[in-house]
Amino acid sequence: MNGLGVVTSLGAVAVFASSSLGQLRVIQADAVHVGNGTVHAPGWIAIEGDEIVAVGGDMGAMPSDDPEVHWGAITPGLIDANARVERLDAFAEYRVRGGTVLERVMRGVHSPDQVISCSCSGHALCPVIGTHEPLASEGLTCPVCSYPSHVAADAMAPGLISVDTYTEAASEVVPHTRVIDSVNIRGADLDRLVEGGVTTAYLSPDSTAVIGPRGAVLRTAGRTSRRVIERESDVHAAINSAPYFSGPSNNQPNEGSVTNRSRRPTTRMGVAWVFRKAFHDAAEFARGLTPDGADTAPTEAFPVLNEVRDGDVGLRIHSRALNDIESALRLSAEFGMGFTLLEGTEAYGLIPELREAGVPVVFGPIYMRPSGERTAFDLDFFLFTNEVGANKLDTLKTLIDAGIPTALSAQDLRDEDGLARQAMYAIRYGLAPEDALRAVTLTPAEILGLDNEIGSLEAGKRADLVLWNGEPFAATAKPVEVVVGGKTVVDRR
Amino acid sequence: MFTRFALAAAAVTLLFAGAAHAAPPPEKIALTGATVITAAGDDIENATILVENGTITAVGGDVEIPFDAFEYDVEGKFIMPGMIDPHSSAGMSVQNEPLPVAPFVSVRDAIDPVQLYFEDCLRRGITTVHVSPGNNTVIGGTSMVVSPIGRSVSDMTIIEHAAMKFSATPRAGYDRMRQLAEIREAFFTLEQTTKALAEEKYEESKRDDGEPLDVLPDEAAERGMELLEDEDFDLGDQRLRQVARGELQTWMAALTAGDVRSALAMADDLGVTEHTTVVVDASAHKNAEALKEAGVGVVFDGELRERVRDPFTGDLSDTFAPKVLHDAGIPFAITPEPDATLAEGYPNYQAALLIRYGVPRADAIKAVTQNAADIIGVGEEVGSIETGKSGNLVVFSGDPLDFASHVEMVFIEGILAYDRQKDIRLERLLNLEAASANDEDMSAETAEDAADTASDDGSADAPSASTDGDNAGDTGGDSE
Repeated sequence: MNGLGVVTSLGAVAVFASSSLGQLRVIQADAVHVGNGTVHAPGWIAIEGDEIVAVGGDMGAMPSDDPEVHWGAITPGLIDANARVERLDAFAEYRVRGGTVLERVMRGVHSPDQVISCSCSGHALCPVIGTHEPLASEGLTCPVCSYPSHVAADAMAPGLISVDTYTEAASEVVPHTRVIDSVNIRGADLDRLVEGGVTTAYLSPDSTAVIGPRGAVLRTAGRTSRRVIERESDVHAAINSAPYFSGPSNNQPNEGSVTNRSRRPTTRMGVAWVFRKAFHDAAEFARGLTPDGADTAPTEAFPVLNEVRDGDVGLRIHSRALNDIESALRLSAEFGMGFTLLEGTEAYGLIPELREAGVPVVFGPIYMRPSGERTAFDLDFFLFTNEVGANKLDTLKTLIDAGIPTALSAQDLRDEDGLARQAMYAIRYGLAPEDALRAVTLTPAEILGLDNEIGSLEAGKRADLVLWNGEPFAATAKPVEVVVGGKTVVDRR
Repeated sequence: MFTRFALAAAAVTLLFAGAAHAAPPPEKIALTGATVITAAGDDIENATILVENGTITAVGGDVEIPFDAFEYDVEGKFIMPGMIDPHSSAGMSVQNEPLPVAPFVSVRDAIDPVQLYFEDCLRRGITTVHVSPGNNTVIGGTSMVVSPIGRSVSDMTIIEHAAMKFSATPRAGYDRMRQLAEIREAFFTLEQTTKALAEEKYEESKRDDGEPLDVLPDEAAERGMELLEDEDFDLGDQRLRQVARGELQTWMAALTAGDVRSALAMADDLGVTEHTTVVVDASAHKNAEALKEAGVGVVFDGELRERVRDPFTGDLSDTFAPKVLHDAGIPFAITPEPDATLAEGYPNYQAALLIRYGVPRADAIKAVTQNAADIIGVGEEVGSIETGKSGNLVVFSGDPLDFASHVEMVFIEGILAYDRQKDIRLERLLNLEAASANDEDMSAETAEDAADTASDDGSADAPSASTDGDNAGDTGGDSE
């Protein structure tokens, strides 16, 4: 490895001599974690423009006599392959009375000012879901947003399913829509991601439609126009209870009356039916027939579904419970499609099956007690999902040990609860630190098909780095500098 | 010093039902080979701790181990003093009496020894808990310092009436004026009652002596004061008199920066500032000067970072409150959050968090040990690993400030109260079965693969047929 370092660093000198693209920046650090398991301790990295030009552990080969010295570790920028970010909406931006703007209200952000007292009992209202703080007298927190624990942290608000759903509700099958069109790609939520060290995020739609919109891949910082890496990524399907419980106009139909305020399906059987019928109809459509019958998907959906079936467009299936993962495996096998499993809370129970099917997993988050969207699926009636009851703390390790390519995601969690903490939990529950780093860098890059651009610190890749003031993911350390595309976007020193 | 040997042994059996009735714990134990974080000076590497009859009798590098001591070899591990939860309302089924002013109640009657919370305490290395009425109150009742092991509340008790819980932050349905007015009213009523009782007492004493009443009512009340006894008052007033005399500590919840001011002013009015502890949240960094001047105890409950978003610019300001207080020279204690996400329930993680935001290591450790013990009034007995203190020890698999380290053993007064090896509940949260099943799969992999190849060909038609005859052709075509 040292030999390799010398070779690449010689290359770096050459680049330095001949290039006028940008300033060469050489950082020497206590440890440089490449992301693929290699650690140079001590080590150095040289970046120029938006590219890494060389990395190494041979201090003599450093392409600078006077490098920046960083007391701590350097890792690749983290990648969240299943992030939920806030949507862009016009309302709630300003609080207006009589034509006068009283106050600018931050979208989707908890602030103590938003906590209002209910006139009937004086109990605090949860500012996000507008319902009574449940059982305040017993010190419990809001099951959806963790209010009041996170009020000051404004960590939990964005991207909450059913609160901020951005999946098109026109049909249960909307793969012709794109999440990028409804997401705020320069919002405070992306700032929070990058503050936590996440430099690339796959934006997942929520799971309110059986076959939902296509996700997108974003840089979390930099010029807005250059943030989008992939505009039309995988199709997001949901094989779980969310399609029939969540969503703004997704009421259970009254007996016999299905209206535009109620949608089907109403059970897991219905979810599987909608999924199966959509792909079946798409095949008919490809043969020149016109699909019909109840729950027929929009015509625009069929070409996309056929691409999914042909393997030209990726498929992601969001399932938590074991039987849902089984359904996902069965349905995908039925149409000869591969897919990426999202969340996979009970995936530990299906390891041989997942390995056999060659399904990569974007697992996470890891938790003792579920929070956010993982607790409640119907906010009007406070119904609690039973899909998270059998979570285990070391599922990530179990999956990785079994040889299943598994990335770790924090989904809607941010700040203190974000991806770095998820990696810390993974290490706590037995994963080797280098494997945990891989699960939030190179593995997600591979799953996203971007491992030739990002995911590790190798010459030629994009200069996305996190500089930690200690061991990466240690409880006593934090990211002190985050570099995206060669530019420092977070500096806490 | 409190000794509950047999009871504690019973507690261990309660927690870990798998274990048979434990033998009585050894009178002398020695823990050898660990790095000891004493919380009172430097760490000692490769040290031996000797605990005799529940009390630490020796700590150091060269301690002679008595022949009759039971030795635990904990080489390579770390030992911390048992950590302290300085303010917890868990462990009771309901945290607050619905009555706003309830000085006569005590958590003594509400603590449930079999609450999962107490078991979790051991898992997290907490060996002393200050159980207090919740913050949703005006005057909430008296709190208690307990040990997390014991069959009954009596077994657990360390201090039966530790403090009176007040709240300067409005309870649900109250505004700040009403909240503070009701606290003042309680003491005003006590004053009136005292006067009336004193007058009555004086008159009574005259009557008993057969003498005529010689003074006006005001003078009689004054003379009668010294005749008053605690029993003349109802229970609530007795407790409030103890508060006023400083015999009961005053704990005030003050969960906004403004409420901290009110709490300090109230304590000053009552003349109990030196016996006061304020329970604060992250906004308390704005009160650093006032807190320093008052010299009250400070306990953080909940969030430690105050993040405020400017309503107009959207800029986020982020303040780590304990660091501000530390820089101001104010000692404080930190409460683990049992209801929050996984990490914050662990006091050792909370200490690591302090370090992450710039508090020196020694002070961070004290915030969950010695400082907390001092604030709840047991600083002489627990909070550090020193000769003469209780044998409350937590054995970690590695550095406690690294969250990858686990609590392996917890000793309370020298009694093994928790052993991770026997923690059945923890086992259920880990994939031990899946992991072993996985190993079997691995070994059988080759055979399985062969079988799969065969079955794949055979079953290719079956699922396709269930959807549509035409699709079957497509699927077959794709896969070939």
